[in-house]
Amino acid sequence: MELVYKIFIKDGAWLTILNGLWATVEISALSLLFGTIIGAALCSMRVGKIKPLEIFARVYISIIRGSPVLMLLMLLFYGVFARSGISPIAVAVITFSMHTAAHVAELLRSSLMGIDTGQVEAARTLGFSRWQAFKLVALPQIVRIAKPVYQSTVINLIQWTSVVGYVTITDLTRVINNTASRTMQPMITIIGGMLIYLALSYAVHKIFHFGDKK
Amino acid sequence: MSVIEIRGLSKKFGDLSVLRGVNFSVEEGERIVIIGGSGCGKSVFLRCIELLETPDAGNIFIDGQEITAPDCDIDKIRQSMGMVYQRFNLFAHLNVMDNLCLAPVTLLKMPRADAEKKAMELLVQVGLVAKADAYPQVLSGGQQQRIAICRTLMMNPKVILFDEPTSALDPTMVGEVLAVIRMLAKKNLTMIIVTHEMNFAREVATKILFFADGGIYEQGTPAEIFDNPKREKTVAFIQREKYFHYEITERHFDLMEMQNKIALFAEKYGLSNKYTYRVQLCCEEIIYEMLDNACAGDEISMVIDITYAEAVKQTEFKVLCGGKNYNPLANEKFDEEDLGAVILRNVTKDFSHSYEGGVNKISFKL
Repeated sequence: MELVYKIFIKDGAWLTILNGLWATVEISALSLLFGTIIGAALCSMRVGKIKPLEIFARVYISIIRGSPVLMLLMLLFYGVFARSGISPIAVAVITFSMHTAAHVAELLRSSLMGIDTGQVEAARTLGFSRWQAFKLVALPQIVRIAKPVYQSTVINLIQWTSVVGYVTITDLTRVINNTASRTMQPMITIIGGMLIYLALSYAVHKIFHFGDKK
Repeated sequence: MSVIEIRGLSKKFGDLSVLRGVNFSVEEGERIVIIGGSGCGKSVFLRCIELLETPDAGNIFIDGQEITAPDCDIDKIRQSMGMVYQRFNLFAHLNVMDNLCLAPVTLLKMPRADAEKKAMELLVQVGLVAKADAYPQVLSGGQQQRIAICRTLMMNPKVILFDEPTSALDPTMVGEVLAVIRMLAKKNLTMIIVTHEMNFAREVATKILFFADGGIYEQGTPAEIFDNPKREKTVAFIQREKYFHYEITERHFDLMEMQNKIALFAEKYGLSNKYTYRVQLCCEEIIYEMLDNACAGDEISMVIDITYAEAVKQTEFKVLCGGKNYNPLANEKFDEEDLGAVILRNVTKDFSHSYEGGVNKISFKL
């Protein structure tokens, strides 16, 4: 018990860990926000009728989904933005936004394909407007299909951000790594780090199921 | 004023012209049943009335309001029309009660309690009170369709359109849905029904429309259409005529292949083995009669058309054969040498032969 106190709390260690956790949460939350917005745009390009945009979206999605996010991160950090003076955190947010966007675009597209046009038509013939039919009939069903997939996208995103240590960001993983070296107690420290990630995932799960009837 | 009036309605899909200048009107209390082969435009016609398809030309008036006018409020007009689909299209995320109440509560501002009361009354009528809290996925097709009918009734429509309401159902469930529609018919609700159920059509309709050639090909009372159809395609449709066509181009044609095709044709329409054998026999004999007596050389031009009328169980043969003038049954006296002619004479009826422009035309029935 004393050991745990020594590793995680003593001499402001808790503050360092909290800062790392904050970096992880910040990158994840911003990337999720931008990624979802860009992903929705990508999805509309992908299913839209303008051929060049459709091809762009298709190529973009397959490149991003087909390569490790760490490669993209290094490409942007050491290549594209090397001399631009942008903060590492911003580069990480850009990277993970791009990454999340591709996944969100595909998830939205598959949910859209799940809409039953017959039900929308039935709603229209009852007298609902286009928007009402979407809101009352299509949307609840899209959400139902997309929700579990989106939840796992979020959890994956949080875990993938653990690679940002490569580009000098002190996120949760980096802090845990540093603490393990400093205290020479890798077992306990890393298990502690894993528990923090687990708590994050659990929080995400709770947010997604907030208000669910049981 | 007509409930529905349609003037010069045309609809194309690409190069395919499905409806060409259809004129029609429906009066209050009429029950119109539309029949016709697949792809004759009957479903498209129905969908145009609901403006689910935008017509290329023509005007449609619902209760005097033109829905094809650019400034019309189609959502408002649709509230007074109901549509029942082949695939039911219940809202999958709502239970039966919510499916029924969604539209009246949202659109007609009916208080929820009143809507539920009305819904229960309808569920009693269709015998599904026990399913009020069930979700569509757990209901059978017939139950879903009955709920779908209730859903349109919740809006008190002036007219209900049924787009093949029983085509997606198991044969065992067709009856329960038709019973509900019959019940509505007794209440003199205005309806347009597209269906393949001919007995139901005859019983429930005040007027039958037969669709073909991009429009209303023939119309009349059920008795007129079913017992006394006037035009060629209507007759073919009502008697459920099936065609078999075979061409022979050389003397050593593949007899086995032809016989096999006839057997498949016969099997498809449920002809007995004995009857099938007779059809094959007639074909074989008439072909060899003509090959031996009318044709010279190895180049043959012979066409056989067989029409089987399912409703009256009769087969009609038409044979066209180029060559010399030859009537296989011309020789009245019994001739044992010519066994083919004997067989044809004994099993067929209404045999006729004519010869013009170097072609023998033969027809007979079996």
